Amino acid sequence: MNMIAPIERTDDRLARTEVASLVALAARTVAPLWPLESAIAVNPLAGFEELPFAQAVAEASKLFGAHRTLPLALWRRLHENGRIDEAALRDAAIGHLGGIYRAAAPIAPGVTMLDALMACLLVIGRGDRPERKAGLGPDAAFIAKWCGAFFDHGMTAMQLPHRDLGLYRAVLAMAAYDPDYRTLTGARGAALLLSFPRDPLEAISEGLASLAAEVDQLAYLSGLVARLPGWAGHIRWRCEHADPDRVADAPATMADLVALWILLSRADALSEPPAAPSAGEDRAPALLAHFGLTAKALGPRNAQRLDSVARVDDDRLGALFMQAAERSYANGLMPALQRAARTTSPPVRPDVQLVFCIDVRSEPFRRVLEAEGNYETFGYAGFFGLPIALHPFAGPHRARLLPVLLSPRHDISERPVPGRESEAEAIADRARGDACTTDLFAAAKAGPATAFAAAEATGPLAAALMLARTFAPRATGRAAATLRARRQRALAPAGDAHEDHAGFSLADKIGYASALFRLTGLQPDTARLVVLTGHGATAVNNPYAAALDCGACGGHAGGSNARLLAAMLNDEDVRSGLAKEGIALPGSTYFLAAEHNTTTDEVVIFDADRIPPTHAADLAALSASLARAAEANRARRALLLGRAPGDLLTGAVHWGEVRPEWGLAGNAAFVVGPRDLTRTIDLQGRAFLHSYDWRTDMDGSALATILTAPMVVAQWINCQYLFSTIDNQHYGSGDKVTQNVIGGIGVVQGNGGDLKIGLPRQSLFCDDGLPHHIPQRLLTIVHAPFDRVAALVESSDILGRLFGKGWVQLIVIDPETARARRWREDGADCSEGRSLLAIDC
Amino acid sequence: MPIKDDTLRLHRRRKIEIVMRAEDRTLIEDLLRAAGVSGWTMIRDVAGMGHHGFHQGRTIFNDESGLVMFVGVGDQAIIADVASGLSRLFERRPGVTFLSDVEVMRSDYFAPSIGTAGDPSF
Repeated sequence: MNMIAPIERTDDRLARTEVASLVALAARTVAPLWPLESAIAVNPLAGFEELPFAQAVAEASKLFGAHRTLPLALWRRLHENGRIDEAALRDAAIGHLGGIYRAAAPIAPGVTMLDALMACLLVIGRGDRPERKAGLGPDAAFIAKWCGAFFDHGMTAMQLPHRDLGLYRAVLAMAAYDPDYRTLTGARGAALLLSFPRDPLEAISEGLASLAAEVDQLAYLSGLVARLPGWAGHIRWRCEHADPDRVADAPATMADLVALWILLSRADALSEPPAAPSAGEDRAPALLAHFGLTAKALGPRNAQRLDSVARVDDDRLGALFMQAAERSYANGLMPALQRAARTTSPPVRPDVQLVFCIDVRSEPFRRVLEAEGNYETFGYAGFFGLPIALHPFAGPHRARLLPVLLSPRHDISERPVPGRESEAEAIADRARGDACTTDLFAAAKAGPATAFAAAEATGPLAAALMLARTFAPRATGRAAATLRARRQRALAPAGDAHEDHAGFSLADKIGYASALFRLTGLQPDTARLVVLTGHGATAVNNPYAAALDCGACGGHAGGSNARLLAAMLNDEDVRSGLAKEGIALPGSTYFLAAEHNTTTDEVVIFDADRIPPTHAADLAALSASLARAAEANRARRALLLGRAPGDLLTGAVHWGEVRPEWGLAGNAAFVVGPRDLTRTIDLQGRAFLHSYDWRTDMDGSALATILTAPMVVAQWINCQYLFSTIDNQHYGSGDKVTQNVIGGIGVVQGNGGDLKIGLPRQSLFCDDGLPHHIPQRLLTIVHAPFDRVAALVESSDILGRLFGKGWVQLIVIDPETARARRWREDGADCSEGRSLLAIDC
Repeated sequence: MPIKDDTLRLHRRRKIEIVMRAEDRTLIEDLLRAAGVSGWTMIRDVAGMGHHGFHQGRTIFNDESGLVMFVGVGDQAIIADVASGLSRLFERRPGVTFLSDVEVMRSDYFAPSIGTAGDPSF
């Protein structure tokens, strides 16, 4: 006789809608995780942004079992290498102790509390942290295994049955045949499979009803979601950001995932939740020894002072180092910016104007290009303000070429360039043929009857390809580049209506064209050539290749957006519309689109064959300058990578390259202002630069757009790098060498487990283990009147939260006086009675 | 000339209007789906005065800033279910809701309660 698991029946069971709300709130514990093809940087602690930064880090540490800071030993090495200023560290220590008077309080003759705290920061203890056991418990491994099977994106030979039923029901249907489930749950688990509700919300409701009354239901559900942040993040992406046709074959909600956890919980198969790691030992004995003191020699008051310093744990010490890193950076940058703000340079009409993405990698390239000639450069969000999805020619799915904060408003088709239809068809035929070959090979490789034959038949070819990629990577790279160039010549995104796609209306085009001028301060008196320069990257055999592309274009290269906007700006009707809005462009101005390859620093100019003959000489001069700028920037970057400049070109096409570029590592600032503010300063590729002219934005709407959109994306990037660095195991993705791609959607460490949510170690750390990226919060610097910025921040939930809770630091430079003020964090001293506090710079 | 009500066949329903932060949009969508509401109206960029001052409505590059308003119509039981779930959300997230009786012309457009017999039209 089958035993049915006892079910606690209660009258106060939650309704489905109440459960749905609780699950939806619990889902916010993790950030959405985009698939590899469009990897987007997100703040892994986005769900904690309502809290002050330090509290959020502490709460997340408890929930995910993650570290709160870099190991002290690494902070010390950064300090020894001069990347953290000792004076800034001392200031942070004084702040922690409650001010200079308390910091100077003696512990013993010649030893102050500040001396003791500095000793703790720099000397006392090893400062490393013990290795923790990696891997999942058997319960999490069980769910992760089924998630991997359920969400597989066409990689396996045989798909999981019952996927159409949803994750929860599909696993329920299969669990009875899974020995891991039997081992985990025993007879109780088998009985539960027969009796447990098939509706995930009802299953969760039943699970919640079985909890003790004092258990916080939301905290309980959040804890379950946090046990597999990778798969939970993938589900959030599917539910909130994916195109429906991409996920329809395997429907899954967060309730499915939580219901599986509830099933294991009801079977008494849940392991202990992760615990926050320990943050160091008592330093009192070491402090006494360091200063040659004995406990007996100290009076009670001094002993208490010593004890209060000795109890500062590694997490707090790490936080002081981070604060010092932030101050070191700001103290170095602000005086230079204020000097530039006091200086006025006479207007010079440039030969060419180039608009780059705000990405930190654009800044050094802009600087070397400006040194090559009479060029003026601007920073603008790399999707050029076009909220589009692009349907590739003969391609299966549309690509969202816009920030994830936006939904596509225009579906754009990639179509043959007039006169190149046959070339485009040939490219499409080849792409279709390649896809068929790939599918055939995959099927043959995976088929039980064909696997060995496929290996025999294709082995020599694969070996030849492998040898070519290993010993002649530049040759294989050239072949790929030729194909890419051919495609770019024959195909272009088309903004007009086509088949089911409405394209842009004239009003849309005028609106997007004028936004370029309104948001960047670009004046209507444009140069003869204006080049809209998107960016992308080149990497081979790299699951994180999309993370090196343009974040503002949803993890894709930005060339298509640049081509579309350039075409709009060359359109006579658009020019007429712009003139009616007061943006009358010279007839001699021609807009071009280009794409900066951040791995090789090569710049591709699109549609150059259509440039008017009158502008050919301008383009030729620019092309020569771009080539020289590329060489100069490669030389600069090669130093940072510890390579020869030529190696960068090889690394971009070598399948064994684990660090083709540093990406956005080092990002630290977001500067909103004219280029004159930063032109003379070497920002070392650490600053997002958004052009802005406060004089042309009297209602503050352009600034509102810049701070609530591009800056938010920059903050996500900054937080992803920050947290991936401080705990690469939990918030990053670990060593690339031991990663495997799973299901075509993400990476796991080893042969299974949770999807990894952040950046790999090689993107953040040097080979000697020292962080290349210093974990510090974004510093936003705005060149605008104080009152305008204050009014804007106070009226915006997002900005109030980011600046008030300390996720981003804000400094405003008044354009008239060049004085600077810092935004006061919530709860900080407000004796000045205002939000923007005076600072000494 | 106004059309008299007795020339139309109208159906009584309940309406729920929910104003929340745009970044919480998916919370409401999950809730409406769980209640069995298959369709709703969402109005972006809602502006207005609240406890924390004036909320700007206009956004350009960020669909997740500002406020949105959802409007859903259904049978009384379904809308009560939505409100019940909403009370959980309001424990953690700011927002306001309005419930009211409405009359609709095309009743099949709006979510019926499961097992509802007959149509409470008049």
